[in-house]
Amino acid sequence: MMGTMTIFKKELKGFYLSPSFYIIGFLVAVVLSWSYPIQLNLFSQLLANYMFQQNLPQQQLNIHYALFLRHMSYLNLMLIFVVPALTMRLFAEEKKLRTFDLLLTSPVTSSEIVLGKYFAALAAVGGMVLLALLYPMATRTMTQFNWAPLLIAFFGIFLVGAAYAAMDMFCSSLTENALVAYGTSVAFNLSIWFIGAGAELTDSQAARMVFEHISMNTHLGSWAEGTIRTSALVFLFSVIALFCFLAERVVESSRWR
Amino acid sequence: MIEVRDLTKDYGPRRAINMINFTVNKGEVVGFLGPNGAGKSTTMKIITGFMAPTSGVAKIAGFDVFESPLEVKKRIGYLPETPPVYTDMYVRDYLKYVADLKKVPREKIKTQIDMALEKTNLGSVQKRLIQNLSKGYRQRVGIAQALVSDPEVLVLDEPTVGLDPKQVAEIRDLIKVLRGHHTIILSTHILSEVQATCERVIIIHQGRIVAQDRIENLAVQNQGQSRLNIRLRKDVADLKTLLGGIEGVVSANQGASRHDWEVHIRGTDEVVDAISSRVVKEGLGLLELSPHKVDLEDVFLKLTYGQDQAGVQP
Ligand SMILES: Nc1ncnc2c1ncn2[C@@H]1O[C@H](COP(=O)(O)OP(=O)(O)OP(=O)(O)O)[C@@H](O)[C@H]1O
Ligand SMILES: [Mg+2]
Repeated sequence: MMGTMTIFKKELKGFYLSPSFYIIGFLVAVVLSWSYPIQLNLFSQLLANYMFQQNLPQQQLNIHYALFLRHMSYLNLMLIFVVPALTMRLFAEEKKLRTFDLLLTSPVTSSEIVLGKYFAALAAVGGMVLLALLYPMATRTMTQFNWAPLLIAFFGIFLVGAAYAAMDMFCSSLTENALVAYGTSVAFNLSIWFIGAGAELTDSQAARMVFEHISMNTHLGSWAEGTIRTSALVFLFSVIALFCFLAERVVESSRWR
Repeated sequence: MIEVRDLTKDYGPRRAINMINFTVNKGEVVGFLGPNGAGKSTTMKIITGFMAPTSGVAKIAGFDVFESPLEVKKRIGYLPETPPVYTDMYVRDYLKYVADLKKVPREKIKTQIDMALEKTNLGSVQKRLIQNLSKGYRQRVGIAQALVSDPEVLVLDEPTVGLDPKQVAEIRDLIKVLRGHHTIILSTHILSEVQATCERVIIIHQGRIVAQDRIENLAVQNQGQSRLNIRLRKDVADLKTLLGGIEGVVSANQGASRHDWEVHIRGTDEVVDAISSRVVKEGLGLLELSPHKVDLEDVFLKLTYGQDQAGVQP
């Protein structure tokens, strides 16, 4: 585990001391600073006109549902493109610079290498999620709401980011070209959302149940209400474990060419 | 310390090395010599545990490279063909990272880094980004990286490539200093490098070991043949007949002009003595007579390129 710590610390510094991390963070902030006030404004208008719209669904008046869920959807959309930018260099760069030779001839195991890098990627994704959390927190100065559902929801979106990170790290381990890694990563991230869309395409009751269980859209909705269902946890954690395992296999296999 | 048995590696259908056997004792400095594509780097990559052999065994300090890789890797410092440096790190931070990776005890890290910096003369650039260093300096960072864990075994793949003559001399001196303390195996295609730094040489060609011996032994291996360069004042049509009757003269070939001759002899100083007295007695005006030992270069060329065109003597 010493090896994991060493690699984690190095990669973490690599993220938090590099200008590109802050440029990405800045771009995320720009988009959210534009989208969030618009949503906030819509929501406050809705509340002001509430008297005249008696038949409005109760849900629409819930700040968690009407405002934060939308905010999280934007954040998620950005994570699909931002996480690959963070992780694309994890392995591709090592291969290109030939520093992979150093890692593979050091007394660390392939799983220590993968875990060290994965935890660092999590810390970087966590930074982005915290950045997005600042917006609802600022809203707290204007209005009262419950912390718990908000924090649970953001924990959920962080898990989604963690699943992206695992898949994208795996993509990075396949190539020595960071741009190729970026492209395949985005494709993987998008595919997770399309799997859930299968629910509308199938007639079989059983298949529909399965798809609903892994549909990310359903999960996102329930998180906004402050509930995390085990099916969501199981799905995300299996994606994370699977792709970390696959990345470890790829690293290990490079010894056997 | 290093023990290699029947090592074979195939890249797809292509056999890079074929049944390689050698051992290196503790404290020895061994040169791995061979032309491009001979399989030097491949052998080193297997010894260091970077990749697995197709068949055969490699052992370091008694540990099998693929059964206990961590034990082996702790004991090895490896400089690959391309120095494995992170261009966006500072020299000192990079060495600290490598020391951590190699599990150097925390209390020793600082002294080890200082030692590696000092031995490779990198003290003045330790606070600089590796990105901004010249190729030669990066190579030295690569060497420092191999040294920083103070390993028992050093595996250096072409350590002096890309360095200027002064730095080459410095690295050779460094290797001499390290001798005895570390077991060193280094690869090169430069002969003078092996002669300058190694005690023993392993010559590899097309994936096979064609010779391995101490340097002194290899040089005389060529059946004690040596060469005399003779320069005369007078024109001589045929030196061979003039030297007729002297035991040990193999051939006499004309050099650049009829004043310059190259005489191949077999035997010892008596033959040289006999030739010089004959030349003087004939009154040919001896200007120069320089014995030229058949050196490692001849042996090397004969063993490698010579094999392709069998029978051609150097
Ligand atoms: N990754 C690889 N895939 C396929 N063939 C390879 C690979 N690496 C090396 N080879 C082949 O294996 C043979 C030995 O290569 P190696 O790099 O060990 O030679 P070398 O002695 O280090 O040469 P040089 O002096 O040029 O560094 C060469 O014929 C090379 O083409
Ligand atoms: Mg080589």
